[in-house]
Amino acid sequence: MDFAQICDLVEPPARTEEPMNLSAFAGTWVNSNADTMSIARLVISESGGKLFLRVYAIGPEGVIDWGAREIKIFTSSPSSRQPAGFTCGYDFDFAETTLQGMIMKGLLVLAQFHSFKDESRRADYFVREYFALAHGRF
Amino acid sequence: MKPILEFKQTSHLDPALTDPKNRALHADKLIGRWLNTSRATRGIAECRIEQQGELFNISLIGVGANGPIEWPRAAGRLLANLDEEGGQRAVALVAIFEFSFMKAETYIRLNKGVLVIVLYLTFLDQSGRSNYVTREFFYGEN
Repeated sequence: MDFAQICDLVEPPARTEEPMNLSAFAGTWVNSNADTMSIARLVISESGGKLFLRVYAIGPEGVIDWGAREIKIFTSSPSSRQPAGFTCGYDFDFAETTLQGMIMKGLLVLAQFHSFKDESRRADYFVREYFALAHGRF
Repeated sequence: MKPILEFKQTSHLDPALTDPKNRALHADKLIGRWLNTSRATRGIAECRIEQQGELFNISLIGVGANGPIEWPRAAGRLLANLDEEGGQRAVALVAIFEFSFMKAETYIRLNKGVLVIVLYLTFLDQSGRSNYVTREFFYGEN
């Protein structure tokens, strides 16, 4: 078994007939920063054993729906089956955005990487913000 | 006449993105040799960031069974942070380390003098290992 760090030299997780529990991610995640100029909320849903993410971002004249994309799930270790993070990409033609999420103590830490492909000479930039799951209990 | 800028969120229109002062990103604080704050780490022991003109090279050393494992050097892409930390524009580096059996998408930034490295690791072999995400912290050698 090849490895580049010793923590990767592990027995793979036992494969059972139970699919990975994706419910920890599903729901509506709301930005903790009410004044954000970026993503207002994320809606993560499960379908056919896969997770999909839909982004609603803040625009000058209201919310902008980026549409849904399938997300790639990452666990917390090579021998784990518990989801702990995800990545996802959007290609807007004029720019590409990569999203990297990580769940920490129930909070979603989301990093956004924006790369511009047009002639606007805007600098590539990143944003790191926090999202909480809307549980609707109170 | 100003060109019309396409956008998908308000921050795409931030004037700071085209401000010449901000385009000269200062990554000085990232340059150097960084050591894992955890001596017991079983992941990345050391990170070295070098700059050659506008190019950045990142070298990682993993903890191995019989000694350190040098990762293939990766080119880092510099990104600006519109928020400021300590009165300065923070920056981050993103890089992809590629092995025949694994790919590591890396995001490196500085937070109050601590280098934070987040790795999203994807196994490309048939080992059955789960793709996973990890975060480690490093202090500057000097």
